[in-house]
Amino acid sequence: MELLEQIKERYLDRLSPATFRSRLFWKTVEGLALSPLNRPHWKADRVSLAYFIRATRDAYLRRAPVVWCNLLVPSELVLGTGCIPFYPEMAAAVVASAGLAPRFIDHAAEEEFPSDACSYHRCMLGCAMEGFLPEPDLLLAVNYPCDSAPLSFGFASDLYGAPQFVLDVPLPGREDGMNLLAGQMAEAARTMAGLCGRTEREMMEGLSEAVELSNRALGHLRRVEEMRKRDDCTLDGDEAMGNVSVLAGCMGSPAGEEFYRLLAEELRERGSRGDSSLRIMWMHLKPWYSQAIFHLLREHGARLVCEEYTHATWEAMDPRDPLGSLAAKVGGHFLVGPVERRASHLVRLAEEYRVDGAIHYNHWGCRQSCGGAPLVKKALQRVGVPTLIIDGDCVDDREYQEGQVSTRLEAFLESLR
Amino acid sequence: MGDDRIAWFCAYAPVELLLAAGLEPVRYFGDPSRIDDADALLHPAICPYVRACLAQAMQGGGPHHAVFVNSCDGMRRLYDAWKELFPEDFVFLLDLPRNAGKAGERVLAGEYRQLLAALRTFRGREITRDDLAAACREREELRRSYLRLAGEASGAARLRLAQSFQSPPGSAEGGGAAACAHPVAKAGREIPVLLTGNLLNPAGMVSLLEKAGARVVWADLCNGDRAFAASTLAEGESVEEIIGGLAAAYLERPPCARMLDAERRCRILAENARQAGASAVVYASLKFCDSYLYDFPRTRERLRREGIPVLRLESDYADGHAGQVLTRVEAFLEMIS
Repeated sequence: MELLEQIKERYLDRLSPATFRSRLFWKTVEGLALSPLNRPHWKADRVSLAYFIRATRDAYLRRAPVVWCNLLVPSELVLGTGCIPFYPEMAAAVVASAGLAPRFIDHAAEEEFPSDACSYHRCMLGCAMEGFLPEPDLLLAVNYPCDSAPLSFGFASDLYGAPQFVLDVPLPGREDGMNLLAGQMAEAARTMAGLCGRTEREMMEGLSEAVELSNRALGHLRRVEEMRKRDDCTLDGDEAMGNVSVLAGCMGSPAGEEFYRLLAEELRERGSRGDSSLRIMWMHLKPWYSQAIFHLLREHGARLVCEEYTHATWEAMDPRDPLGSLAAKVGGHFLVGPVERRASHLVRLAEEYRVDGAIHYNHWGCRQSCGGAPLVKKALQRVGVPTLIIDGDCVDDREYQEGQVSTRLEAFLESLR
Repeated sequence: MGDDRIAWFCAYAPVELLLAAGLEPVRYFGDPSRIDDADALLHPAICPYVRACLAQAMQGGGPHHAVFVNSCDGMRRLYDAWKELFPEDFVFLLDLPRNAGKAGERVLAGEYRQLLAALRTFRGREITRDDLAAACREREELRRSYLRLAGEASGAARLRLAQSFQSPPGSAEGGGAAACAHPVAKAGREIPVLLTGNLLNPAGMVSLLEKAGARVVWADLCNGDRAFAASTLAEGESVEEIIGGLAAAYLERPPCARMLDAERRCRILAENARQAGASAVVYASLKFCDSYLYDFPRTRERLRREGIPVLRLESDYADGHAGQVLTRVEAFLEMIS
């Protein structure tokens, strides 16, 4: 039985905010994670699971200052200062996977966070209001990929009485833009180091070390990417999409390096799949509560060979200039600025992974992704990649119209044959 | 002959720079009746104002040269769609920091520098210190004229007047004082309220408030009083000094909900409500505007702590289905009167 199923069966009905602040709970969770009953599909998943359990435990038990981060906050920046990065958007995905999101979304609705807003953030706010999330000492948001994080973190900042810091990433190509961003990052880093009682020198050493670890992980990730481009790669996108949490939250830790090292090794060992499936690219994220859409893809002889958010989008960084390097990493992300950058990234992926078609999963309430979907579709069609846009919701299963999705998906896959 | 008009959309657009370049800035308010026309390029769950503007542009009515402010996801997506539709026109995206203070001012001044450089290339001429100083004075005179004329005006008339001052007199959007001549049937009694939100349609939600018996004495809206509430007059001996002053002034204005300092925004709201003699705050915003969706619960709490009752309304910009809203407003006014 999968670990998640075990946790669901044993604990979900009894969960309370106090449960997450109990050492016994975390001891049990760690025990289950290490037990032979937990057999993840990939060895690397055991590493990431252990890392996240440990970091989340430490956040709840307040073993170090906790910093809430949104997706584009580089974990190296937080880990390097000695704080624990906590990504509430990922927490919402975990809550959705456990089938608990509607309860928290409804709680947020009672506080007048309406259904037009992103359900990741409504779920997160519902959890926060019920006391289920670890209390932040600081909330750190990048102003991309979307408006939701700086805004919902603002509410959480009031709720917890913790300060909020927003990194204003300049538009691409702006003169002095990266220096301005590095300056903001330095200020955020000093605030975090201050929370941990670290000196400036200790902070810079920590950041350099985090950047070095991140570089080593990047090297392995590049190997993973090269192997995934082969016809016979055995890592499908529905599994790989979970790695977005590793890419966002583990870089700069030994676990990040180990995760990608093991993944690359196992991909090499597993070798050929030898099938002739349709090759599909997935855009935006997936519905975390259901695998139905991916079963359907397989039934129709299609595989996800690449996804939008799990690839390296930066170059190796300079440990002697960690803040400048991290500014370049964030500032150069394809989600920063106009949609043409995102479209270029996706066209490049489509070409490198030789896809037969692409699917854009429109997460309701996501202005940055839904908003750009028609233009992304046009860009892909210009290079001959048929593209399907499906409306749905990544977190709230009540907004997922399975019948409608199946009909449209089947028609699309038929058209690709 | 080229088109000297240039479109702008967000209240943070530095209109002074456009005037200094010899352009005629025209604010788009969109066509609320044709919002669905934008579906081909913008998802239906995007801000209806943004979609209404694209719909209007697709009809070919307004100018296609445009300056966008990177103030929210919706505006950035409108910029993307505009570039796709009008690739030959001057289309510029200006960044706006969420942080105010000296760091924010430096960033914004840098953005103004970029815009000025792009405008110089586009217009094929220099933009001097004197051009900028004259443009700043022109805007300040306009702002003062609005405040004088708005005087005791309220509700839809006030909002129409504000809109008319955001475009030149000859344009379809402009109209100066004539804009006041749109009387709305009012209820017998009137309760003064402060209206806050993003951007509302004078013919929709605002008229409806008046019908229910509310007198909107201050419209803290992106298309209303907010743009005129504080001076952006910047002076200096050089272009650099003026754009530095302008950046500081724009960040000092009463902020919209996307800016970081929510406490300051609420403080200003409460002060304005008291000064204008408002009995309550009506918090009305367009659907799908994340800035206001996430802001409302905490602003409500802050205003309640100040003893100010708050009513939440939502608009789809066209505001065709008003019956239920009318009932809610009437019940609220009954409660506070």
